Amino acid sequence: MHIKYKLILPLVFLLSGIMLYPLLFSVWLSLQDYRLTRINDVQFVGFENFGLIATDPSFLNAMGNTISFVVSAVIFELILGLSLALLIQKLVIFRGAVRSILLAPMFITPIAVGLMFRFLLNSEIGVIPFYLLKFGVSIDWFGPELALFSIVIIDVWQWTPFMLLMFLAGLEALPKTPFEAARVDGAGRWLTFCSITLPMLRPVIVVALIIRALDAFKVFEYVFAITRGGPGNSTETIMYYIYQTGFRFFRMGEAAAASILLIIFILVFVILLVNLSRPKVIK
Amino acid sequence: MKKFKLSTAIVAVAWATLSTLQVAQAGEINIIMEEVPDYDIVAKLTDQFTEQNPGITVNFDAMPFDAMRDKILTSSLAPSATYDVIIIDNPWTDEFARAGFLEPLESLISSQDGYAYDDFVPALADISKVDGSIYGVPYYNYALGLIVRQDIFDSKGIAIPKTIEDYMSVVKSLTNGDMYGAAMQPQKGYKIMEEWKNWLYANGGELFDDAGNVIINNQAAVDALNQYIETHGEAAPPNSANWGFDEALRSVSSGKSATMLSYNWMLPALNAKGGMSGDLAGNFTLHEVPGGKSVLGLWSWGITANSDNKDDAWTFISWISSPEVAKQRAIMGGAPVRNSVMNSSEVWEKGYGEAYYSALANILDGSAPLSSGNNAEELIEIVGTELSAAVTGQKSVKEALDAAANGVERAIK
Repeated sequence: MHIKYKLILPLVFLLSGIMLYPLLFSVWLSLQDYRLTRINDVQFVGFENFGLIATDPSFLNAMGNTISFVVSAVIFELILGLSLALLIQKLVIFRGAVRSILLAPMFITPIAVGLMFRFLLNSEIGVIPFYLLKFGVSIDWFGPELALFSIVIIDVWQWTPFMLLMFLAGLEALPKTPFEAARVDGAGRWLTFCSITLPMLRPVIVVALIIRALDAFKVFEYVFAITRGGPGNSTETIMYYIYQTGFRFFRMGEAAAASILLIIFILVFVILLVNLSRPKVIK
Repeated sequence: MKKFKLSTAIVAVAWATLSTLQVAQAGEINIIMEEVPDYDIVAKLTDQFTEQNPGITVNFDAMPFDAMRDKILTSSLAPSATYDVIIIDNPWTDEFARAGFLEPLESLISSQDGYAYDDFVPALADISKVDGSIYGVPYYNYALGLIVRQDIFDSKGIAIPKTIEDYMSVVKSLTNGDMYGAAMQPQKGYKIMEEWKNWLYANGGELFDDAGNVIINNQAAVDALNQYIETHGEAAPPNSANWGFDEALRSVSSGKSATMLSYNWMLPALNAKGGMSGDLAGNFTLHEVPGGKSVLGLWSWGITANSDNKDDAWTFISWISSPEVAKQRAIMGGAPVRNSVMNSSEVWEKGYGEAYYSALANILDGSAPLSSGNNAEELIEIVGTELSAAVTGQKSVKEALDAAANGVERAIK
């Protein structure tokens, strides 16, 4: 065997152990009636679990909620993150301090953020509803109309700094010459932003979008800490659905089938996003 | 050398971490507990057990409710149990017993002198019986009762409501300005199911009929849910559609709501001087839920089937649940499960007074478990989700109950 293959063997073994084996085990699980309380009575059921999951209204609802959450949260974070990055780039004084303060939410563990907002926005004991009520504003942040939006706001609060960090690094790495040329040619700020900044920043935006979207698909902690998927199932996300099916109801086969469907969905989503973001080649 | 030290340190840390999960040695029992006030009482009482049984070391692993089910499952699936003694929530009993996780206790109970098993409240003891075997003995009850602000009822000359219709009328009449008649708990899942099922009982409904058919969408259930939604709309605080136990308790203890359906043992906490209710302490009283049949909850002591220390485990369980220790536990604030304890003048005097224990005895007498059977945990979640959807207007009452019935049928297949 060539030395180059020998050198990558340890990594291949490592990845097989920690990624390939669990993935293959999940695929095997998804084809079995595997319940943790009936572990001696595991039966092969083929694709029955996939049929059960695909026709389960709760799964479809959770998938819909998750897609709404991911799209809303990531778009908000993209716009806010880019705006803040552009502002901070122009900042002359306190730039480091402002950047550090804005990055702080990212370093808090999401379950703590969930608990924090659960108490901040709680209609009975929350500080925010208390002061809003003093101005005659009564909002049920975790009511059926706003609960999912509130979860989006919490995610935006925590993860906009990540976008900010990515875009700030991207902006600082851009060459100065095109901007100087545009200024000499008399281009305005908006035209410069649309014609130079955005196109040149596109690779960074795509990477940031993919990372954030993949992360947002995993949203679980806020839902677990605050709403448990309610009211009704208006905030039930796909990860919460899988957690409930697998670890509360012990239906590991169905949970694995739901996970496989999610992996396929995310794979298609990422491929589409990458293809759409490729710059058009001008012949 | 440096590398050797580092690897030694890593192995040591890993070993220390794993050792916390080790199975108990001979003469040692590990007990999983929920972090609730009753656990503190048990932990204090256990000092006496250790004095009387110096050969048995008791290790408690107390944790929040959410973490318990997974831990018990992983312990029970292992060749040797991490936990020799577990506490079992009543919806888990059938599932764990049929999975073979629990040791049958009837021979141990019958051979225990002075244990007085028949002294346990029958409705509580029956929860731990599966297919004729006993898999647990009662630890503490969490039957629901009606807690009211007696001072308000007295000042307005209102009698304690006996039917659900009376209750609806009373709480509506008490709702005025910033004061609300009922602090309700329509939070998705367990909480709304636990509260609404009292309304279902009051209407003569159930989850299943005697033949095992799902009847959660029959007329009784429709009436119960309509009544529940009407009461929530007219007598509960605004923006409370996602309220659970903490919010409802806070509303009552701070004087914003006049009644709540809650665990009977919240009464002493609400009436405690210098406690959560401030100046309102002493004004709360406990009664049977309107309709007379309340939802019953129970934690039981059980021994894991794969425990290596079953004898020591039973020595502890039979001691902590014995009539004498049960009396001490009740006096210290624990929720009673034995008739002799609730009828004891010593407990009345040193505990929370005769009125509380008499009300509790009446509540337990007419109560039934929230859910039982092999998928009880799942059924509670399915029905509780649909109930919440109906309360928040996402589905009509009939749509929600039909969806609940379909979900339950799918789950029990």
